[in-house]
Amino acid sequence: MAGIASRRLQKELKEIHTQGCPVGIQLLNADNFEEWHLSLEVMGESQYQGEVFALKFRFEPQYPISAPAVQFIINEKYKAPVHPHVYSNGHICASILGNEWSPVLSVIGVCVTLQSMLASCKKKERPPDNDRYVMHAPDNPKKTRFHYHDDTV
Amino acid sequence: MKVTIKNWNAIAQWRWDIGKEFDETDDEDLCGICRVAYEGCCPRCKMPGDDCPVLWGECGHVYHMHCIMQWIEQQPPNKQNCPMDRKPWITAERKTANTATQQTQAVQS
Repeated sequence: MAGIASRRLQKELKEIHTQGCPVGIQLLNADNFEEWHLSLEVMGESQYQGEVFALKFRFEPQYPISAPAVQFIINEKYKAPVHPHVYSNGHICASILGNEWSPVLSVIGVCVTLQSMLASCKKKERPPDNDRYVMHAPDNPKKTRFHYHDDTV
Repeated sequence: MKVTIKNWNAIAQWRWDIGKEFDETDDEDLCGICRVAYEGCCPRCKMPGDDCPVLWGECGHVYHMHCIMQWIEQQPPNKQNCPMDRKPWITAERKTANTATQQTQAVQS
């Protein structure tokens, strides 16, 4: 049987193709229903003016009941944004990707939330525990039990 | 002018009574979890209808029963919330008695 994830992702893909992405968000790669890549840019004045980031979404067969694993891509072309909730390995400490995930959220919904997380950043800095976390971090950020920092950053 | 009806076919259309007027352009007639129309069925079912009913929360949000139950069952007991408003999910029992409304129209041919 086709997993519930592929059915739901098909619908999201169709919506992206018919309605387009919100400003600053672009679909880079959605060739299968396991992993999608999107680019993310903060529009207007922000700490990240002129910077373009890329996000990797990994889906389990139970998506959207289970949250996607979302992280910033780091390669020759892309870097992780310097932000108090983003670790230098691209992992993101955001409650909506963990215990505040809701199955009515979507790929684009997550992108928009992360876009506004970056937009509201006042000071570019790494999380205080960055080095310790990155040294022992699992490959999949969903395996991390994040302690969520404040919601104001 | 005199018209003789030689033949007619009845066509019936059904939909769940989700407590508001039907609006074909309204996106909110989709289950927020699977994004399939309420009148369709959840991704695990093959046939829409009584085997794949919709469920109302006390909060007024509606989902396919199978979708919302799958979400609730995998949540810890203190977090069994409506995905839309994150309030504790309480199924509105009284609304499930009166489920389908029917619109029947005769089409002449």
